[in-house]
Amino acid sequence: MTAQPSPSAAKTGGGFRPSRYYSYLLLLPGVIFSIIFLVLPLAIMTVVSFYTTAPSSTGYLPIFTIENYISFFTSSQTGTLLLNTFSLSLIAAIIAFIFGFPLAYFLTFHIKSAAFKNYVITLLIVPFLIDWSIRTVAWLAILGKSGVVNYVLMSLGLVSTPLEALLFSRNTLYIIWLQTYVVFMEFPIYLAMNRIDPDLISAAKVLKAPPHRVLYDIVFKLSLPGVMAGFIFVFVSTLGDFITPNLWAGGVQTLGLSISRYANNFLWPYASVLSTMLLVISLVFLLIAFKVVNIKGLFYE
Amino acid sequence: MMKLTEGLIRVYVAALILLIYSPIIVMIVLSFNTSGRISFPMEGFTTKWYNGAPTGYEYASYISAFYDWKFWIAFQNTVYVAFAAAIMTFIIVTAVAMALRHRLVGRDPLFYLILLGFILPGVALGLGNNILFRIMNWEFTWWTAAMLDTVYAVPFGLILMMARFDPDLVLYERAASVLRASPWSVFRKVTFPLIRWEAASAGIFGFVLAWGELIRTSFVMRGTGVISTYISTELAINPLTPKWYAVGTIVTGISIIALLIMGYVMARGQR
Repeated sequence: MTAQPSPSAAKTGGGFRPSRYYSYLLLLPGVIFSIIFLVLPLAIMTVVSFYTTAPSSTGYLPIFTIENYISFFTSSQTGTLLLNTFSLSLIAAIIAFIFGFPLAYFLTFHIKSAAFKNYVITLLIVPFLIDWSIRTVAWLAILGKSGVVNYVLMSLGLVSTPLEALLFSRNTLYIIWLQTYVVFMEFPIYLAMNRIDPDLISAAKVLKAPPHRVLYDIVFKLSLPGVMAGFIFVFVSTLGDFITPNLWAGGVQTLGLSISRYANNFLWPYASVLSTMLLVISLVFLLIAFKVVNIKGLFYE
Repeated sequence: MMKLTEGLIRVYVAALILLIYSPIIVMIVLSFNTSGRISFPMEGFTTKWYNGAPTGYEYASYISAFYDWKFWIAFQNTVYVAFAAAIMTFIIVTAVAMALRHRLVGRDPLFYLILLGFILPGVALGLGNNILFRIMNWEFTWWTAAMLDTVYAVPFGLILMMARFDPDLVLYERAASVLRASPWSVFRKVTFPLIRWEAASAGIFGFVLAWGELIRTSFVMRGTGVISTYISTELAINPLTPKWYAVGTIVTGISIIALLIMGYVMARGQR
């Protein structure tokens, strides 16, 4: 099943349409939820970022100040912090693409049975849905000092003492992020590839196009909206993930980590400043992505 | 040539699936290890990390999973959170997906608004909701976590559902409405029976997502709150022992069972 409307539906002008009011009514619960638990909290957070820190019951007083932002922009740490955060997420997104694209290709063009396809998709979602604490802790058994990788390396005689660099480095973070977020990359690409007309590929093959041209000029170019969507999903999700870097990045500082640290010390205005900056940057990326590709086109006409 | 690429891509996909499953598999195996440390290979087989009788003086890391009452409190809370999130996701996703099929004024901004629930950085949403809840004097309890999980799960459910709509659905609806069925009876007798499996799979997705979420939840739940916050709080002060792998195996087992049901439900929808 695809989301493409059937030709007959297009002819009748979009099909059954009870009434506009019903449709807006149906949107209401989703919109109310998004406003109360998404728009409102983020707006309040932005306001608090301009408040003065004070030893009151809330941790701040409603006195307007831009001191918080001045100290953020003049801090010597800020540059490193931003650079770390973005380089980590960018590399994570690239790695997810390298693994996610072939995966989506396999799902689209190599699995014929719809039921089998469902099971593979479910298999791929599982690691993302494993409990967050457990997923990160489980990697210790693989990469830890007495973990599986070191055991294999030592029994093969490749190393004499266990490697400690496997854990607590950026590489660990990339591996865990790949496990967690590859589904964010693979699924949008899969949706985009699903819409490629198989006749285009057969036509190219009949006309003796070399396989790499078919792959690049047809499959890659036509799945570009999915690639962009996946890239943004992985990039922004890893920006907001402070749990994994906290445990595994080996002391690399990121924006998300600093936010949680300020929040744990009840420095709400500072935490809000960093969080607002993170939000603004994410929104800029999202706006650019939405301008460049038709992301909603992946989901409906 | 074609056969070779075909074979290579199969190996690649199998290797990737093995990579993302390796920690889960090793965790399950090591939860039966007699050694008190996380080490490979296993020293011997035991179930003491699951059902070993407590002496009453151990730290959390040495109480077996079945006797760790704090874990079972967190477990109970997590069940509430996950069921609440599943029901709300089911209702919201069904309603929104119905509406978004039609060309409405303002449809795209509304879709993007709902989509933001999973695109925006989790840490910002967690912090924002923490500040909101404290200003409103809303108590941090299981329902606060359920709300955040619902906002997170709805976009996923929506995508799952809209990617799988039957293109002929509108034709059936149109036929029913031409025969003068009211909008409600069109939905009840025609639309819902055709989409119920997709809607159910969106609800189950909400359940599983809420079952293990930590980034957002850590801002609106404290300590023993839910399983994920309980484990991360305990492990900040306690050593990692196979007990936590036993806990992990129990919790992961429930996620996987729920996902298998989801896979089955999705397959039902395709018949």
